[in-house]
Amino acid sequence: MSDAAIRVEDVSYSYGDIEAVKGISFEVAAGEILGFLGPNGAGKSTTIKILTGQLAPKSGKAQVLGADVTADDPAIQAQIGVCFEEKNLYDSMSAQENLRFFASLFGLKDIDTAGLLARVGLADRAKDRVSKYSKGMRQRLMMARTLVNTPRVLFLDEPTDGLDPVSSQAIRELIRQEADRGAAVLLTTHDMFEADDLSDRVAFLNEGKLYALDTPENLKLAHGRRSVKVRIREDGEITERSISLTESGAGDELKEAVGAAGLMTIHTEEASLENIFIEMTGRGLAG
Amino acid sequence: MNRPVSRFSIIASIVRKDIAEYGRDKLWAFLTVMVLVVVVVLFWLLPNDVNESIRVGVSGLEDSSVLTALESAEEEGLLLVPFATAADLEAVVAGDATPPDQDQAKTAVGIAFPEDFLAATAAGEATAVTVFIDAAVAEEIRTAITSIVRELAFAVAGTELPVSTLAADEVFVVLGEDRLGNQASARDSFRPLLVFLVLLMEMFIMASLIAKEIHERTVTALLVSPATVGDVLAAKGITGALSGMAQAVIVLVAINALSVQPLLILTLMLLGAVMVSGTAMLAGSTGKDFMSTLFTGMLFMIPLMIPAFAALFPGTASAWIRALPSYPLVRGLVNVATFGDGWAETLPELGMLLMWCVALFALGWMVLKRKVQTL
Repeated sequence: MSDAAIRVEDVSYSYGDIEAVKGISFEVAAGEILGFLGPNGAGKSTTIKILTGQLAPKSGKAQVLGADVTADDPAIQAQIGVCFEEKNLYDSMSAQENLRFFASLFGLKDIDTAGLLARVGLADRAKDRVSKYSKGMRQRLMMARTLVNTPRVLFLDEPTDGLDPVSSQAIRELIRQEADRGAAVLLTTHDMFEADDLSDRVAFLNEGKLYALDTPENLKLAHGRRSVKVRIREDGEITERSISLTESGAGDELKEAVGAAGLMTIHTEEASLENIFIEMTGRGLAG
Repeated sequence: MNRPVSRFSIIASIVRKDIAEYGRDKLWAFLTVMVLVVVVVLFWLLPNDVNESIRVGVSGLEDSSVLTALESAEEEGLLLVPFATAADLEAVVAGDATPPDQDQAKTAVGIAFPEDFLAATAAGEATAVTVFIDAAVAEEIRTAITSIVRELAFAVAGTELPVSTLAADEVFVVLGEDRLGNQASARDSFRPLLVFLVLLMEMFIMASLIAKEIHERTVTALLVSPATVGDVLAAKGITGALSGMAQAVIVLVAINALSVQPLLILTLMLLGAVMVSGTAMLAGSTGKDFMSTLFTGMLFMIPLMIPAFAALFPGTASAWIRALPSYPLVRGLVNVATFGDGWAETLPELGMLLMWCVALFALGWMVLKRKVQTL
């Protein structure tokens, strides 16, 4: 991929003797959402810190918009947006003031704070101090701040962690809109549904190592079972059976199940990303 | 692509943000106003008169005109107070009796002349004069008293006697420099301490502001924008120096300290404010929370305040006190505001202060930069 917005080649990083990232390589194109899936301590945040210039890789090469991340180039910093896991906002300032202040760091004087806040559902709380905000509101403001400079590359570190379903959905919608606008998005999460729902591709990261990098669909096809599970009530008893879609006669068997008078449910048995993650790394996503 | 933004613009934005944050914190705002008010009120409550005369009780001389002839005694800051008898004089100097006359109070030295002193001296005969001296009286004063007795004998006898007078700077030593006849009042003595208090409060508040930026990780949000570590540190230094300077100027105006050499005093204060900002960077980057920042701030504040206390007691600044970073600031303030020294006389203090400024600011910058980069 020659026009990659983010390019990482064999990058490693250690905190003292602890290897946090072990020779990972990947690329993210403009308009693409890459979901970094992994449990806590997998190396997701360290990778984002490297790509945003907060940490220098011990080895390997990392580029954002064609520039080496260690160059600490303000021109590149001006084109990225970072949403941190910590809610690092200025509590004594209002949402509007927070946005205006960060916009001023990008040399933007007349930004549409009202429009940005409306996008995250905070238009009516624009003048309230952030110290009065709930966790969900802070996270939504974090997203608005990330977008203040209309970035070409977005780094989103657990943007929906611990949020209520409504706030999470609002933020996911915003991420989709940004990708549609053409921004490259690197999203870290340990929520498999989020990764599945949002990502064009997902990367499985565990103990600093990249285990898989592909579209959710391909991973499911490669690792899941092509079968459906059918539950039928017959003579007061519930029976459950699995119909393999790869075997001959599967069509007839399925047609019979669908026609049965006591049919209760039919479910596909494709693997979830979490199942695939556990299968590949031997570790769950929650840890 | 966004157009490039200048470093000045970024630093100015962060300074504006810092000042807004500073003003909105109720505790910091309260402390700032409280210190300003207390310092100014305290200054104007302090006495502004100088009375450093030493009362010397005299008995046995009926003819007080002899005493008034002793102009040299007054020149040396000695106030001669007549007593009726030698016994009364001894009791008052020893602290065993309360004198009936208010003028006789606080008499620490007494000279009891024998009844035949005038006659014997006029005749050139030997006579004995008893001197009562409180144990706390300095050796120099004892020597001066002896000199007075000899001069009195000279005045009475009218004969040239081999009287050796002591030079004034051997009697009174003020901060290694003779301020005889030019003593500072309590109000003047406290002036540098009060102004310095404002700067130190500023240091504590700046340290808290920096610690807050670090511990709430807002500094990492700044560093992923076009702002560099240098921009953030420069902004902190400017905020600290500006707010410290602004408060110092308010106090200086309120305590009438800008009436002489205003430019020189403002230069001293600016250097002091920069030095304090460097110290705030050190304290702010080492503190982990509000309490630890308070504790670390105190560790820096206490040694820095010592020279200001030393200024209250002239002559007490020993070599190690003179080596403290705040000493040239305090000394400069005392010399300029109280004794009217000019640029030429204050040059050594300015040079030393500038050196400390650079050293502390550079050290604070390095420590804070390391802290920010390892977050």
